[in-house]
Order: sequence, then C-alpha cells, then structure tokens
Amino acid sequence: MKRLTLKDATTEAKLLLVGIPVLLWTMLPIYHLFLFSISPKESAFAGKLWPDHPTLHNFEVVFRQQHYYLSHFWLQLWNSLLIAVTVGLLTLLVATGAAFAISRLKVKGGRTVMNLALFTYFIPAAFLAVPMYKTMGNYGLLNNQWALILAMVTIAAPYSIWVLKQASDKLPYELDEAARMDGASPLQLFRLVYLPLMMPSLVAIGTYALLLAWNEYLYAFLLLSNDRQITLSVALGNFLAADDSPWELLMTVGLIYALPPAAIYYAFKRYMVGGLTAGAVKS
Amino acid sequence: MASVSFQNIEKAFGSTKVIYGISFDIHDGEFMVLVGPSGCGKSTLLRMLAGLEEISAGTIAIDDKVVNDVESKDRDIAMVFQSYALYPHMTVGDNMAFSLKLRKADAKVIAQRVSNAAKILNLEPYLARYPRELSGGQRQRVAMGRAIVRDPKVFLFDEPLSNLDAKLRVAMRAEIKALHQRLKTTVVYVTHDQIEAMTMADRIVVMHDGRVEQIGEPLELYDHPNNLFVAQFIGSPAMNIVNGTVRRSTGAAYVEAPGGVRWPVGHTAGADGQPVAYGVRPAHLTLGGGDNAVAGEVIVVEPMGSETELLVQAGEAQFVLLTHGRPAVNPGDKIGLTVDPSMVHVFDQKTGARLAA
Repeated sequence: MKRLTLKDATTEAKLLLVGIPVLLWTMLPIYHLFLFSISPKESAFAGKLWPDHPTLHNFEVVFRQQHYYLSHFWLQLWNSLLIAVTVGLLTLLVATGAAFAISRLKVKGGRTVMNLALFTYFIPAAFLAVPMYKTMGNYGLLNNQWALILAMVTIAAPYSIWVLKQASDKLPYELDEAARMDGASPLQLFRLVYLPLMMPSLVAIGTYALLLAWNEYLYAFLLLSNDRQITLSVALGNFLAADDSPWELLMTVGLIYALPPAAIYYAFKRYMVGGLTAGAVKS
Repeated sequence: MASVSFQNIEKAFGSTKVIYGISFDIHDGEFMVLVGPSGCGKSTLLRMLAGLEEISAGTIAIDDKVVNDVESKDRDIAMVFQSYALYPHMTVGDNMAFSLKLRKADAKVIAQRVSNAAKILNLEPYLARYPRELSGGQRQRVAMGRAIVRDPKVFLFDEPLSNLDAKLRVAMRAEIKALHQRLKTTVVYVTHDQIEAMTMADRIVVMHDGRVEQIGEPLELYDHPNNLFVAQFIGSPAMNIVNGTVRRSTGAAYVEAPGGVRWPVGHTAGADGQPVAYGVRPAHLTLGGGDNAVAGEVIVVEPMGSETELLVQAGEAQFVLLTHGRPAVNPGDKIGLTVDPSMVHVFDQKTGARLAA
C-alpha cells in the first residue's frame, strides 16, 4: 500500500484549494437558473439559497404554453432541434468529404482550400452577420430556416474540416494502400475503412456543430423573424422586450434549453474515445 | 502462379532519381528476395510492382502482360506490409475476407477460403478477435492470411519481419518459407537483412543506390560476389577486406598489405603492381602455422558455444576469424593465420569489380 507522504498531501490540498472555488464558480449560475425555475413569481428575487415554497408550477406553465411569450414553445423547441441536427449532419457531410479528399486522396490544392476556409475566422462572425443577411436576402431565403442552417454550416465547416483533417492524417496510410490492393475503390475505402475509423472524431465534430447551431442567437435573430420560424434561443431573447419580464419563466425555459446539450454529451461520450485504431499497424 | 519481368525500370521523385534502369526476370513460382541497405530502392521497386507508385520509365510485366497502366487491384497480386496494415475495426476473419467481399465473391467461397487460410496459418482460434487483441506474430500471420485468401499470382512482402523480435523473426522466416513450398506461388520479398535473404531466397537481387549489383542464388553470391559491395553485404560475419598491391614477380603470387603482410593469392587475379582489395571470409581463415601463415596477434576472443570468433591484428589491419570448436587462445597470443588461396576474393580497388579468381 502506498503511504501518503506530506508532499502528496500538500499537492492534493493545493489542487483542492484551486478546484473547489472553480467548481463553485462554475456551478453558481446554473444553481441560480435552477433556483429561479422552482420559485414562485413573487419570491423569485427573494435572494434565498432555497425558496420557502419550491414549486414546479413554472414548468407547467411552460409545457402548457400558458403565457404570451410561450405560445409557440413546443414548435420553437422543435425548430431549434431540427436546425441543430440538420447543421450537425450537413457539417459532417461537408467536412468529412473535404478532410478525406485533402488528407487521404491528397487532392492537389486541398491544403490551400482548407487554409483559405480557416482564414475566414480572422473576421469575427458577428461582423459577417449583416453581409450574410444581405446574401440570404439575395437568394430569397430570409425568414426561411435554410438560411440559418446554411449560415451555421458555413461557420462550423472550416474548423470541422481542420479538425477532421488532423485526425485523418493520423490514420496509417498503409491502411489505404492495403485497401487499394484488396480492390477497394475510393468510395469503398471511404465507407468501409475511413468512416469506421474516424467515428470518434466524427461524433465530436457532429456534436460541436450541433451545439453551435443550438446555442446560436445572433444569426437566428437576424435571419428568422416569424414567431413560427424562430428558434427557442431567439424566443428567449424576446422575453427581455417587455418591461416586466417573467424571469422565473425565462429561467425555466433556459434550464429546459440547457438539458438537450447535456443529454447529447452524455449519449455520445462513450464514442469519443481514442484507441480505435489500436492494432492496425505496429507503432 | 506467374512470372514477373522488369525492363529498364526507372523511378524519379521529382528531380531525384532513385532507380536507374533495372532489368531482371522472376520465374514462375520463384522466391525472389530484393536485398540492399536502406535507400537502395528495393521497396520502391516492389511498390511499383504493386501499383502503389508510378513507373517513371520502363515496363513491368506479369505473365508477359505489361501492367504499367493496370490498377493495383486488377494486377492480381497481394501484399504483406511491414506494418501489417490490418483493418483495426474488423475481426481477423473480416480482415481476411475483405478483398473477397469487395470482389463480391460467393459467401460460401469466402467462408471456405478464410477457414482454409486460417488452418494453414494456425489462426483458427482467433478468427473472431480484433487485431488489437493479437500479438505481433499473430498479426503478421493475419496479414499473410489476407494475402493467401486471394490466391494471387504473386505475393509481395515488404520487410514483413522487421517489426518482430529476433526469436519470432527466425520462426516466421521458416514459416514463410514453408508456406511458399506449400503454395508454390511466385514471391517477391524485400528485406534489408542479408540473413533473411540467404535463408529464404531461391534467388537474390542485391541492390545498391538504385542499381542492381548482382543477381544469383544465395550460395553463388556468397562464393562468387561480383564486386566489393556484394562481397561485404552478403555473409555474416562480414568478409575481411584489406587493401594491398599484387606482387607476382618472384615465385608464388601474393598481395602485399600495409605493414608488410603477405596474403597469398593462388590464381591469376590482378597484374603485378595492381592495387587491389583483398577479401577473405572469416570462416575461410584458419589458425595455425605453416609456410604461408601470416603472423597475427589475438585481440578479442568471442566464444559462442559451437563456434568461436576471434579478432586478430595482422599488419595494420584487423581480421575476424570464425572457427568451429574452442581454440585454446587468449588475447595477446601470437598466432598464425592460414588462408586457402582458392577461397580468397580479389577486387579492383578503384571500380570494386571482381578480378578473375
């Protein structure tokens, strides 16, 4: 058995000394979110650590769409989900294809294209919002959910391509050669060898793009305006338009809105493991 | 089964030329080993045959059919990679069946061929395992199994044993050779290890700096190396080489090495006064005094059980001597070295070419 030396104990103590405040600091806003959501409207700002009369009434109001701001709650949640999932899938499609072409097929000029795409990150996305609005207007896509989907894919793609390209560079090239000699066409190579081995990275990138779209506010606010088209994040923003915002409902919806990302993270966590290529080549 | 023919093969990567006009033929069913130091172009030559590298000039033919512009998958060849290159997400069985599945072979045929290959390679208990669950030697066998199931015209091996430890390497060497004797498929085998080449090959191609130095059966290369490079590359321990000058003015001919040492040459190798490289294999040096013996001093004694290796200083050069048994000598002992003049090799010092001997 290992004996705990004074040095070990000190190191442990130092880590805890840093770790505990950081944990509290991170959890505090989430705790407030939760506190608001279970407090009755009158005592929402009471400033207590636990409400005197905790209630689930706020959730009932939200789920039954019993407030002016919440009249399209379920539809808007569905919009958020639909757009986020579509963005995730489209980004994966674009980025995987690009990464495969650049990294495995070694298409001429591929790296240049990737670097150009990454170059777009030099300009903050917020500055591009208005030009993007103009562009979507030209295409007649304003107030169409495809506008937001395309915009989010555009924003997510360069980083995704870069990450996937780095990941696929790490796959041993002999695998491609072996597959070629076994008679695989580039498409078969892509489907039967490349995709299965890239799965952890694909899950990570898909989740990244999905969450990026899920959390997006600015572009969603600009490109969509109809109450039946907007995402829940924009709807949440609209709560603040009133003088007497229903804070407890805003926080309740916020809490609900934060749950799917957490669920997605836990669902896909087990795929995001390394070591999938173990045993391919002697290293 | 098939023959392979290389005609004036050249290869350049950009402006760097790595293979300079190589031509040779591999017979049907032959075990041909390409051997040479790293960077000699042997792997590149194999990869051109595999269709993984473009051919810059010349033609490669399999069974008299030029395959320069044939895709690798249509050349009917199978390759075993140095790194095994197993598909990590597939089981051993799926790895072996992959090429047949791509060719849309009948499921029964696939199952039969995979089980057949597994039987040959003793992989039957591992068919459901993943490569990561196998040892190095087992992975190596799966890589071979993947080649066998295809029943190709030619097997290509690219340094298949260099990732294994020494003991396993010797075992796999014998296994591959036995496999070849059983399947009788043409094999092209690349290695940098001359012992592998000697023990496995029907014929050996010795390559150096993108050129072929010599082609021949293992013992032919050992007994009659065409040039200094082959002489030093083939054989272990390596041949002793000493520079000297041919003297044949008085009586018996000899090569005079620095330090006044006289090494006998029995034949007509070299003209009087010609500077030559004199070579003698460690196994062809014997201990003992005689009229022709060269005086030397033992520096190191390396007993290996059945054999003993001695490092001996003679004149200004050091020689390795390999002898059976356990001679009673110690470092510092003065000894005589005897050479059978018919066993020595004499090369031109400038060109390295073998002089008639």
